[in-house]
Amino acid sequence: MESEHLLELVDIEAGYGRAALVLRGLTVRVPPATIVCLVGPNGAGKSTVLKVASGMLVPRSGRVVVQGKDVAGDGPQQMLRHGLAHVLQGHSVFPEMTVAENIKLGGFTVGDKAVLNERIERVKTVFPIVAERWNDLAGLLSGGQQKQVEFARSLMISPKVVLLDEPSMGLDPKTTATVFEQVVRMRDHGTAVLLVEQNARRALETADVGCVLDLGRVHISGPARELLEDPELSRLYLGGRPAA
Amino acid sequence: MSSALLLQSLILGILLGGLYALLAAGLTLYFGVMRVVMIAHSAFLILAGYLAWFFTVTTGWDPLISLVITVPVFFGLGVAVQRLLMTRLKPASLTMMSVLLTFAIALVIEGMLGFTFTGVQRRIKLDYGAASIELFGAQVAVVKLVAFGLAVLALGALWLVLKKTSFGQALRATIQHKEAAELVGVDTAKVASYGFGLGLATAAVGGTALALDATIYPSLHWHWIGPLFAIIVVGGLGSIPGAAIAAMLLGITQSLLQVPLGTTWAQTVFYLALFVTLIVRPQGFFGGRLAQRF
Repeated sequence: MESEHLLELVDIEAGYGRAALVLRGLTVRVPPATIVCLVGPNGAGKSTVLKVASGMLVPRSGRVVVQGKDVAGDGPQQMLRHGLAHVLQGHSVFPEMTVAENIKLGGFTVGDKAVLNERIERVKTVFPIVAERWNDLAGLLSGGQQKQVEFARSLMISPKVVLLDEPSMGLDPKTTATVFEQVVRMRDHGTAVLLVEQNARRALETADVGCVLDLGRVHISGPARELLEDPELSRLYLGGRPAA
Repeated sequence: MSSALLLQSLILGILLGGLYALLAAGLTLYFGVMRVVMIAHSAFLILAGYLAWFFTVTTGWDPLISLVITVPVFFGLGVAVQRLLMTRLKPASLTMMSVLLTFAIALVIEGMLGFTFTGVQRRIKLDYGAASIELFGAQVAVVKLVAFGLAVLALGALWLVLKKTSFGQALRATIQHKEAAELVGVDTAKVASYGFGLGLATAAVGGTALALDATIYPSLHWHWIGPLFAIIVVGGLGSIPGAAIAAMLLGITQSLLQVPLGTTWAQTVFYLALFVTLIVRPQGFFGGRLAQRF
C-alpha cells in the first residue's frame, strides 16, 4: 500500500564512527507539499537527521522509507534517484563555476536533455535570480543569492523532498526573510521540505509541521503554529514569550 | 643586457613557461581533487622521458609517436595508483601520508629506471635536434618550439576536457566542493581516480616534451620536484589556471635572470617566489576564490 508520507524516518539510531549515538530512536514523517521543520538545542542531532535521509550517513538501525519503500543504507546517489535532494548548511555552490554550470550540475543524473532544459526554465521561473545572474560566477553572488542558487540546483532532479540544513546560517535578517519566502515558494510548487533551523521561531512561523528534537529523539511534534503558541515550549526552546 | 639578448631571453622564457605549465598541471590536479601531495609526479615525468627515448632508440621513429602508447598507459597507471594505494590512506591524514607514500613511489621508479637503463645519461637524438629558426630576430631551437607546441596542445586538451565534458564538470565540482558534488550525484571516488589518471596522462606528455631537449638520468626528478611545487604554491594549490600563470611568470623570470646571474642562481627564483608566497599570501596569488579554501 502506498504510504501517505513521502519520507519516513522510523526508529533511527545513528552516530559518527565509534562515538556515542547522536540519534536515539528518532521518528519523523514528511507528508507531500508540506514544510516539516526540526528545531532544538545544539547537539540535538538536527543535521544528522538530514545526513541519514540523504544517504551521507548510514543509520545503525531503523528504517528510511521513501513512498513506502525502505531504502536505509543507500548512498547519496541512490537517494537522489529516490527523489531526496539535500542542501548543505553554509555555502555549497561551486564558486568557480557560473550559475548556469551550477544549475546544470544539479541535473547531473538527468539523462534526457529535453527534460533538463524544461527543468532549467522551471527553476528560472521559481528563482528569478538564477536567470538574472545566469552567466556570473556563483562565488561572486551574495550569501542570500548563493543560497537561492543552491535551492534551485536541488530542484533540478525534481525532488519529492528537499532537505534544507540551516538555510539562514550567516545571513542578515532581510536576506533570511527572502530565503524563507523561497522555501515557502518551493512548498507552493509542490515540493515537500524537511527543514533544519537554528532560528527556531522563524522556522516554526514558516513551517506547517514542527518537531522539537532533544537528545537525539523527537521530544514533541505537531502543527507548527500550535508549537509556537505553547508557552512551555517557548520558554524552553524559543527563547521566551509565545507567539502573539 | 642588449635588446636582442633581452628579446631572446623573453622568447625562451615564454617557451620554458609553457613547458613548466604542462609539467605542473598534473601536480596541482592531484591536490585539487584529492588533497594528495604527489612527490612522485616528477619521477613519472622522467619515466615518460625514458620511455620516449627507448621508443626512439628501438623503433627509430619520432619520440612524439610514443605518446600514442604512453598517454593511455599513464592514465591507466594513475587510476590504478589511486584505487590501489591512495584510497588506503585515512582521509584525516591523507595529505601528510600521501607525501610519504608518493616519496616511496618516486624511489621505486628511480630504482627501476637505474636497474633497467643504468645511471648513464641519455639524450634523444633527433633529426631536428640542432635546428633553429629565427623568431622576431631571435634564434630559437626547434625542439623548444616543439616542446612548447606540445604543452599548448596538451593544456588546450585538458582545458576542453575540464570545461566541455560531463566528466570535466564533475571533476571541477569535486575540486570545488566535494560534499556538494556527491549530493548532486557525482561519484566522487570514480572522479578522483580518473582525475589522478588525467594528472599522470599530463605527466606522459610533459615528460616526453622535457626529454626532447634535456639529458635524462634516473635521479633527475629530484631536480624538478622543487620548482614544480613552487609553481603550484605560487599559483594557488589546486588551481590549474593559477599554475599556468605562475609557470609562465617564473619561466620568463628565470630565463631573464640566466644572463646576468647564470643558470644556477637563476633557478633560485622558484624558491624565492615560494618563500615570498608563503609569507605574504600562503593561499597563492592566482588561484582565485577556490585557493582560499585550502
